[in-house]
Amino acid sequence: MNSHAAGTSNGGSGDAAAGGAARRNTRMPKYSKFTQQELPACKPILTPKWVVSVFFIVGVIFVPIGVVSLLAARDVVEIIDRYDEACVPSNMTENKLAYIQNETISKECIRNLTVTKDMKQPIFVYYELDNFYQNHRRYVKSRNDAQLRDASKANQTSACEPEKTTANGQPIVPCGLIAWSLFNDTYNFTRGNENLTVDKKDISWKSDREHKFGKDVYPSNFQNGALKGGATLNPKIPLSEQEDLIVWMRTAALPTFRKLYGRIYFDLKENDTITVRLNNNYNTYSFGGKKRLVLSTATWLGGKNDFLGFMHIVGGLCIFLAFAFTLLYFSKTKDFSVLAKASVYHYFSLTPYTSGNANPICGFGRKLGDHNYLSWNRHPAGR
Amino acid sequence: MASERPLLVATTPGASTPDDAPSPHPPAASLLPPAQSEPPLRADRLAFSVEVPDPFRPPYRRGDGPAADPSASSQQREREGGDDESRGVIVGEPSPEFAGNAIRTAKYSLLTFLPRNLFEQFRRLSYVYFLAITVLNQLPQVAVFGRGASVLPLAFVLFVTAVKDAYEDFRRHRSDRQENNRLASVLALGTAGEFQPKRWKHIRVGDVVRVASNETLPADMVLLATSDPTGVAHVQTVNLDGETNLKTRYAKQETQVRFSQNAGVGGILHCERPNRNIYGFQANLEIDGKRVSLGPSNIVLRGCELKNTTWAIGVVVYAGKETKVMLNSSGAPSKRSRLETQLNRETVILSFMLIGMCTTASVLAGIWLLNHRRELEFTQFFREKDYTTGKNYNYYGVGMQIFITFLMAVIVYQVIIPISLYISMELVRLGQAYFMGADKDLYDESSRSKFQCRALNINEDLGQIRYVFSDKTGTLTENKMVFQCASIRGVDYSSGKDTGGYSVVVGDHLWTPKMAVKADPQLVKLLRDSGSNEEPKLVLEFFLALAACNTIVPLVLDTRDSKQKLIDYQGESPDEQALAYAAASYGIVLVERTSGYIVIDVLGDRQRFDILGLHEFDSDRKRMSVIVGCPDKTVKLYVKGADSSIFGITNNSSELDIVRATEAHLHKYSSLGLRTLVVGMRELSRSEFEEWQLAYENASTAVLGRVNLLRSVAANIERNVHILGATGIEDKLQDGVPEAIESLRQADIKVWILTGDKQETAISIGYSCKLLTNEMTQIVINNNSKESCQRSLVEALATTKKLRAASSIGTQGPLLASETSTVTLALIVDGNSLVYILETELQDELFKLATECSVVLCCRVAPLQKAGIVALIKNRTDDMTLAIGDGANDVSMIQMADVGIGISGQEGRQAVMASDFSMGQFRFLVPLLLVHGHWNYQRMAYMILYNFYKNATFVLVLFWYVLYTAFTLTTAITEWSSLLYTVLYTSLPTIVVGILDKDLNKATLLAYPKLYGSGQRDDKYNVNLFVLNMLEALWQSLAVFYLPYFVYRLSTIDMSSLGDLWALAPVIVVNMQLAMDIIRWNWIIHAFVWGTIAATTVCLFVIDSIWVLPGYGAIFHIMGTGLFWFLLLIIVVTAMVPHFVFKAFTEHFRPSDIQIAREMEKFANVNQVNLSEIPMRGLS
Repeated sequence: MNSHAAGTSNGGSGDAAAGGAARRNTRMPKYSKFTQQELPACKPILTPKWVVSVFFIVGVIFVPIGVVSLLAARDVVEIIDRYDEACVPSNMTENKLAYIQNETISKECIRNLTVTKDMKQPIFVYYELDNFYQNHRRYVKSRNDAQLRDASKANQTSACEPEKTTANGQPIVPCGLIAWSLFNDTYNFTRGNENLTVDKKDISWKSDREHKFGKDVYPSNFQNGALKGGATLNPKIPLSEQEDLIVWMRTAALPTFRKLYGRIYFDLKENDTITVRLNNNYNTYSFGGKKRLVLSTATWLGGKNDFLGFMHIVGGLCIFLAFAFTLLYFSKTKDFSVLAKASVYHYFSLTPYTSGNANPICGFGRKLGDHNYLSWNRHPAGR
Repeated sequence: MASERPLLVATTPGASTPDDAPSPHPPAASLLPPAQSEPPLRADRLAFSVEVPDPFRPPYRRGDGPAADPSASSQQREREGGDDESRGVIVGEPSPEFAGNAIRTAKYSLLTFLPRNLFEQFRRLSYVYFLAITVLNQLPQVAVFGRGASVLPLAFVLFVTAVKDAYEDFRRHRSDRQENNRLASVLALGTAGEFQPKRWKHIRVGDVVRVASNETLPADMVLLATSDPTGVAHVQTVNLDGETNLKTRYAKQETQVRFSQNAGVGGILHCERPNRNIYGFQANLEIDGKRVSLGPSNIVLRGCELKNTTWAIGVVVYAGKETKVMLNSSGAPSKRSRLETQLNRETVILSFMLIGMCTTASVLAGIWLLNHRRELEFTQFFREKDYTTGKNYNYYGVGMQIFITFLMAVIVYQVIIPISLYISMELVRLGQAYFMGADKDLYDESSRSKFQCRALNINEDLGQIRYVFSDKTGTLTENKMVFQCASIRGVDYSSGKDTGGYSVVVGDHLWTPKMAVKADPQLVKLLRDSGSNEEPKLVLEFFLALAACNTIVPLVLDTRDSKQKLIDYQGESPDEQALAYAAASYGIVLVERTSGYIVIDVLGDRQRFDILGLHEFDSDRKRMSVIVGCPDKTVKLYVKGADSSIFGITNNSSELDIVRATEAHLHKYSSLGLRTLVVGMRELSRSEFEEWQLAYENASTAVLGRVNLLRSVAANIERNVHILGATGIEDKLQDGVPEAIESLRQADIKVWILTGDKQETAISIGYSCKLLTNEMTQIVINNNSKESCQRSLVEALATTKKLRAASSIGTQGPLLASETSTVTLALIVDGNSLVYILETELQDELFKLATECSVVLCCRVAPLQKAGIVALIKNRTDDMTLAIGDGANDVSMIQMADVGIGISGQEGRQAVMASDFSMGQFRFLVPLLLVHGHWNYQRMAYMILYNFYKNATFVLVLFWYVLYTAFTLTTAITEWSSLLYTVLYTSLPTIVVGILDKDLNKATLLAYPKLYGSGQRDDKYNVNLFVLNMLEALWQSLAVFYLPYFVYRLSTIDMSSLGDLWALAPVIVVNMQLAMDIIRWNWIIHAFVWGTIAATTVCLFVIDSIWVLPGYGAIFHIMGTGLFWFLLLIIVVTAMVPHFVFKAFTEHFRPSDIQIAREMEKFANVNQVNLSEIPMRGLS
């Protein structure tokens, strides 16, 4: 009855368990380092030595990396050419949309680029789109990866709206906005008479070609709708070999992005003039986007980027902090502590990290673990 | 310096006042409403020669009992007549209109489980929020995550909780079934006295039930008859109120006659509606044309056991869920921890942040759409129209689009309110509870009881306590009265030695008293040699008085040895028990008690003493007496009581020396903290006796003013008493109580003692447990009217102010301030005064006064007053209160306080049942609060803040990205990573840290109780810290988002790769932040922190290995570039630098006490420092 009463006379939660515990509780708890929360443990404390060394080490690591990456970045040569405005015939600058939508107007356009510095092969050819939201929610979702991979799943067009099926219900392969809006400007490069062929092989990820885009999946009903979004695909070539599509379908993270167009395996000399014969097909005029052609060499760090700047800032800051803390820890001059009090103390006096009774700033270079610093030993009255 | 301080009230500290005498009613019993005026023993019907009284004969008995008292019964009738709420029960006729006796503690049945359980679970607001988000996500326009993915977390949580609830309910069902199917003998309908077995669940109100000895009562019943001809039954109420002693209940003589003759059914019983009061009952019974009034002593309650009575018959008046035990079983009110309440404030702030972010995103999205509305049709990445249908696809105009974006934003940013936090908190508390239970310092060897967490949601409150309200008996003291010394006829015998105890030979059995008392060898020798000498005879009388002058019932218990039996003295007063055991140890063994006589084994010679009369203890006389017919045909009066009371009735002239000596001894005893009693005796002459007998009978049968008459009869006979001696009984303090109280006081916890004891007893206990010291100024509030209460409160307040002012003037220097602040005040309030103070406007005065005092003692308080005092503090301050007690009378205060602790001692389990935590000893409070409470608080506080911070970091990273997606709430991070972030990527380390990390060692925390202050001051959880954490989240999210953004701005980076970086980087950053704040790295914490980062990477690998997801292969691709690794490094360093700088600076230049103590642990020898501390503390 006793144990039952334990069960019934509190209706609260877990009473049955409590009753059970009452029955079992006659055992001495087993003693172990674990149950007594006495597991051997390391108790790091941020001593001045540690603080200064951590800052110093971080700084010492960062500065060389910054130097190395500086050296690497110096080698990168980039040629950037914005052509979307320049390629519009002068009579149509007021109505670019009509220009791009009119199929009868030739879209061919010739650009001359001057090489600013020697460029070693391979030279990467990118196109850069600006203000093009490949990460727009509508756009990102509008694809079906099962269909791309597997020929038998051609009918799987879910999530592909509004580019799902043809008017008579035939599934579009590859379906969805992303594929539909495939970039279709083309570039041909010549240096004088020399044709700089663009190698368009292996511009996409190997993993995509092999596993994501089927070898037996062929485009069908593609770009047959009322509105053409971009490039057409050769229905004879399987998706796994449509590398431009594969590159395009790796949607870019940011609204300004580059995509690899191909590689040129020629070394370019300083002051070389390269003639680009391009087809300005892609409609960026409808949303005010920009198009650029980029030729760039690459290093082990990739292309040009802001990385080394950060490295320098952070590395330098850490070294500075190391010195600042060293000064703080060892400085005992009155002037300095007054200065510190005036600036830092007042800022931190509101911070709650310390106990409620306002501790005065402890002496610089205080002795660690000195019990005289305990609040009740400093003000013996306590609270 | 102490002696110079004036005493406000002239009290002699240290020595308890002479009238500190235990009453026949123990403190616990004195809290009961006054019992009916029926004397426990019907001495009126006993004469010298009557051996077995005939219960049916005496005609004069008619008038006995309150039923015959016209004034009383008419009052009662009036009250009940106007009371429509009473219920009528026909004895012997089961009535279907009242609740049956089946009980049901289970919450659910198979059918109701799902809806009810879901309903219960969704009473948590957070779950409703969670559900709303999930439902929102099911709308196709708004869906952010896949449908399955979004339902999963909620479903999982609900399922786990449901399984746990189902299991608990299954156990309840099982125990209900067992209980309901127990058998009881019930009077068969239409028969006279034929009892048939019936299952408990079929018993109905009106059934007549027969219960045998040691059986449990199936329902609340009014006793009709018992095996005892006088209608006495003994019950043990341990399951009800936790008191282990036997309680006496009576059947009314009218029914006793009728039912013991099997007269069958009849009579109508009117009783009050079912209520929770286990000490109150009012009813009347109409039988044979008479109206008999019934009170609490006539009812036996479900769950009690019948003891020492062969059988008892009763009529069921309350059954099943209406029984008092079930009505009292509603369980402790659910409490919420203070941190959890505070956390709501931050949740509201976060909700505003959430709404702000959602509004920003949706408004910007609307602006973007407005700016681009002409371009939407031909823009490749938007393409408004679906040309196969010719309609707009998923575009509903700018206004609607803003609304939809808002809803989607809510779904995407929902994690900023960390739902998983609630689950993490539960898990952390579970872990903390495990470690508290496993702590060997909280294990009570003597009662073999572990620490138990009964409420799992207020662990962290233990670290913020400012007030401790403690019961005295059984909590501070062991409630084990032990006879220590005696002064007999002016000679002090206090050198007790352990003896083997004394046994009595009865037939071929050996009866041994259950408890042996240390006996003084000199006294034993004196007793053995008692011949014809006068003095040894008086010594014998002394022990006879101890054995006879009480209401103890000896119970003979079997032991494993068939030859051995144990005598267990049961009685309502532990003092009397102690005295009976003491007498037994000296060879005067009370062996048997029946209604008319007692049998005492006097040094091997069994003698029968007739109990001719008994004058109960009352607070005016402060003594009790019995009239005993001795075997040698003399009649003696034995009296025992408080010294002041007994010395007043001695014949001073003849025994002045003895009185003087006894007084000296009494002073000595009470200064040792012993409870003292004086015993006296008087031999009555035949004429005196007859005169008394007549008066006694008249008084007992008097219609009007019986109590006063009886009192005057007693006063008449209790005079010219010979002092036999005095006794000293130790109310043993539990181990380590003074030290515990000292530690609590060091920790700035105010300890209040609330006791049912008298003022003097309370004060003497206050001294012995070091709560009161001689340096303290005592303020006593002890008044009998509201006006005088007010006066003394105002006076006391004025004096307090004066004292404070005086002390502050004399001391300008900061050094001296330490001394003056020790002008400590002690407030002693009496329960009588509390009646006029609590729940009136005087409460505020009391509160002001009490907060000025460092010690408060409340004496003679009723259970509800205890709760009232707790409420006094709880309602007026934000300070956390803790109540600790062991008895049923502490339940109200345990439930009222923020934290209720039950001592699982000997007084049953009622307090434990109502408590949030239970443990074996008062002194465990110190490790519980100072160590576990401190740890729990700082762990939980850190965990909550950390959870806010880590989720905010993640959500902000998501938010920054939305600014670059035309505000369309795309997440670069895959939806699986978004969902797993809170569940898997970051939650486990914080749970483990919340369970295992310790800021300081146990030894340090115990050595420096002041370290407890961080919890009291909310140092570890407050708005400032929250803001700080949010700022860190802001900075870190900026670092995590913008460093990759600037690096990859003009590159071929794809969304999935960058998304993986944005998923991995915050996980590493928040785990690094945790790692920086972890104080104690053991291998488990190492495993979880680094393991989580590894597990996150593995998860990213797995997610990016799924072909159908767009991000296939991305993580492998990006991890193949050196840039990724350097970037990760720089993100982590940039994100952590501010936290590191801040930490390094504050820890060194503005260290908290905890920080210094940590350093002491590491660099200084704590124990050594501690040793040098003690004298310092002693001075201050």
